[in-house]
Amino acid sequence: MLKANDIGYWYDRQENSLFEHVNLEFKSGHSYAIVGQSGSGKTTFLSLLAGLDKPRAGQIELNGEPINQLGLTAYRRSHVAIVFQAYNLFTYMSPLNNLLTAMAVTNSSHRGDKAFAMEMLRKLGITDEQMTKNVQRLSGGQQQRVAIARTMVCDAKLVVADEPTGNLDEENTKDVIDQFQKIAHEQHKCVIIVTHEPDVAATCDYAYRLAKHEFTLEA
Amino acid sequence: MNFFKRAWLNLTAKKGRSILLILVTSAIMLFVLAGLLIRNAADTATSNAKQSVGATVTLAANREAAFKKMRSSTSTSKTSRPKLTTSPVKLSDAKKIAKLNNIASYTATVSTSANATGFSAISTSGSSAGGMKGMGGSTTSSGDIAISGVTSTSATADFENNTSKITSGRGITTADEGSNNVVIESELAKEDSLKVGDSIKLKATTGTKTTYTLKVVGIYKASSSTSTQQGPGATDPSNSVYTSYTFANTVKGSKYKNTADSVTFNVSDPAKVSAVKKAGNALINTSKYSLTTDDSSYQTVKASMDNVKSFADKIVWLVAIAGTIILALIVILMIRERRYEIGVLLSLGEARWKIVAQFFVEMVMVLVVSIAIAGAGGKFVGNQLGKQLVSQQTTTATTGSTSTQQGPGGGGAPGGSTSGTKPSGNMQAGGALGSSSTSTQKQAELAINVTVMDLVELGGFGLAIMFLSIMLASGGILRLQPKKVLIE
Repeated sequence: MLKANDIGYWYDRQENSLFEHVNLEFKSGHSYAIVGQSGSGKTTFLSLLAGLDKPRAGQIELNGEPINQLGLTAYRRSHVAIVFQAYNLFTYMSPLNNLLTAMAVTNSSHRGDKAFAMEMLRKLGITDEQMTKNVQRLSGGQQQRVAIARTMVCDAKLVVADEPTGNLDEENTKDVIDQFQKIAHEQHKCVIIVTHEPDVAATCDYAYRLAKHEFTLEA
Repeated sequence: MNFFKRAWLNLTAKKGRSILLILVTSAIMLFVLAGLLIRNAADTATSNAKQSVGATVTLAANREAAFKKMRSSTSTSKTSRPKLTTSPVKLSDAKKIAKLNNIASYTATVSTSANATGFSAISTSGSSAGGMKGMGGSTTSSGDIAISGVTSTSATADFENNTSKITSGRGITTADEGSNNVVIESELAKEDSLKVGDSIKLKATTGTKTTYTLKVVGIYKASSSTSTQQGPGATDPSNSVYTSYTFANTVKGSKYKNTADSVTFNVSDPAKVSAVKKAGNALINTSKYSLTTDDSSYQTVKASMDNVKSFADKIVWLVAIAGTIILALIVILMIRERRYEIGVLLSLGEARWKIVAQFFVEMVMVLVVSIAIAGAGGKFVGNQLGKQLVSQQTTTATTGSTSTQQGPGGGGAPGGSTSGTKPSGNMQAGGALGSSSTSTQKQAELAINVTVMDLVELGGFGLAIMFLSIMLASGGILRLQPKKVLIE
C-alpha cells in the first residue's frame, strides 16, 4: 500500500542526515511499530509518511503513485489519519463535534452521519453524556480514545500514530493499543505507530528499529 | 462549508474572548458610524441651507454713482461744498423685480427719525440730545426717535433671528400699510408707562414739521446685545420704533411717497443669486440704483458644514485605519494562540483558504453584533460629537463675520452730507450681525439620524476593515507548517 523508496532526510547538511536510502513497504491489514532512541528520527520518518513534510531524497508512493503528485494536502485529507501524543483535538468542541468536523473536512463517506460518529465513540467507551461535553473535560485516556475514534470515522486507509500512549497509564495504554490492532485487522487498514515502549511495539505485527541512520526489522 | 460551523462553535465556546472582540469592534464601529452620520448630516444641512437660509438681493441707491457725480460737481463748482444726492428706490421698480423667477418675497425699508412729543425718549449719558446727528442722517436736523418703516417686522433681520421679540400686542404687517400704527421698544414703553392701545405723538424734523399721532399696536424687546452694538453718537436702541414704510415715507415728506430706502428680495435658491441680479439690473436704471447680493448666510453655513464634513471624513478614515491596525493585531494574537487548532486542521487536510475563511466568518459574526450595538449607540455619540463640532465651527464662523461686519456706522454712511436718507448705521449693522446669527441657528440644527443606508455603509466599512485585518494576519496561517506545530 505505502512504499518508502530510497528515502533520505537531513536538516542542514546531507552529511548529518537522519537516515538515507530507506526502502520500506507497509501493507493494509497490518500494524507496524517504529522504535528507536529519542532523536533517532523516527517521528520525522512518520511525518514523511503522513505527508506533513517532504523527504530530501527519494519518494513515498501510495499504491504506486508518488504522494507529491497527489498533493500533500489532498493526500492527508483522503488517505491518512494521524494520532498524536498530545491528542490534538479541537479543544472548543465536544467529542462528537470533533468527529463530525473531521468527517466534514476529510469528505468522509459518513459525512454528517451523527449516529455513526456516536456509535464509534460508544465503541471506544465514551458515554452519550461525555459525547456532548467539552472534550477538555475528559481524561487523557478518554481524549486519546476520541482521537482514535476520529481516525475510524474518516475513510483513510493509513493510520499513523506518534507516541499515542506516551501520556497514558498502563490500563489505558492497553485499551488504546487494542483499538489500533482492531483498526488494522478488523477495518483492514495500515497502522504505523511510532513508540519507544517495547510493550507497545510487541503488540504490532512488525517492528522496525531506527538506529545508526538505518531501519532494521526486529524479530 | 464546515468552516461556518467551526466559526460558530469557536465563538460560542470562547464567550469571554468573543465578548471582548465584540466590545473592541463595537467601539471602532461606533466611531466610524458617528463619522458617517456627521458627514451625512452635514451634507443634508448644506442642501437644506440652500432652501432655508436662502440669499438676498437688495435694491438701493447707487452710492458709487452718486459719489462720482458729487466729485464731478466739485471740480466745476469751487464756491460751495457739493452734496451727495441719492435717489430713493421706486416701489414700482421693486414690484417688477419681485416678478422675476426665484424671488420668494421682498421687504421694503424706510428709515427716518422724528422727535418725541408728549413723551420722553430714552437719553443715554454721554450722547448728545440729537444723537443721530452725523450718522448719515440729515444735516439739517434729526429726531430722537429712530423710525424704521418696514413692510413687516417679522421679515426684518432682528425679528427673524430673535434679536428682537414682540412681548405684547403684535408686529407691523402688510395690513398696516397706510396706517399710523407703531411698535415700540419695551424700555421706552416702561419709561413712559405706555402700553398696547395707547397713542404717542411724533413731530417730523423736516418740511412742515407736522405732528403725527400713532397708535401703539405692539411692544418689542430688543436683546441686550443690540444695545452694545450702537455706534458712536447713535441714539439709544430703545428709541427705535417700527412703523409701516408708508408712514415713514409720510414723515420724510411727500416726495418720498411710493419709495423706500432699500428693498430686500429673498431669493429661494442661493445658487441663482447672480442670475437674479443680472435679470434685475436689466429692469432698473443702474446709474441711480444698484442691486447688491448677500448670500453670506448660505456661504457661512456652507463653509461651516464643509469644515464639519471634512472633519467627519477624517474621523471615518482615521478610525477605519486605526481600527484595521487594532483588529489586525488582535487577529494576529488570536492566530498565534490557535496555532494547534490550525495545525490539526492542516493535518486533517483542510485547505488553508478555508482556515482563513473560518477566521473571517468569525469576525463577520462579531461585526454583525457590533453593528447592531453601534447602530443603537451611534446616534448618541454622533449627536454629542456633532454638537461639539458645530459649536466649534459656529464660534469660528461668528467671530469671522462679526469682525468683518462691524464697523463704525455699519452699513450706513459714516458721516458725510446726504439728503435725509439713512439716519443711522445701527440698524444695518444689526442686520449684518443678524445674518450670522441666523446661520448659527441653522448650523445648530445638524440632524443626526441612523438610517438603514447608514448601517449598510457601516457594514461595508466593517467588512473592509475585517477583510484587511484578516489578510494582514493570515500571512502567519499561510506560512504555518503542520509538522512544526504538531510534531516539533
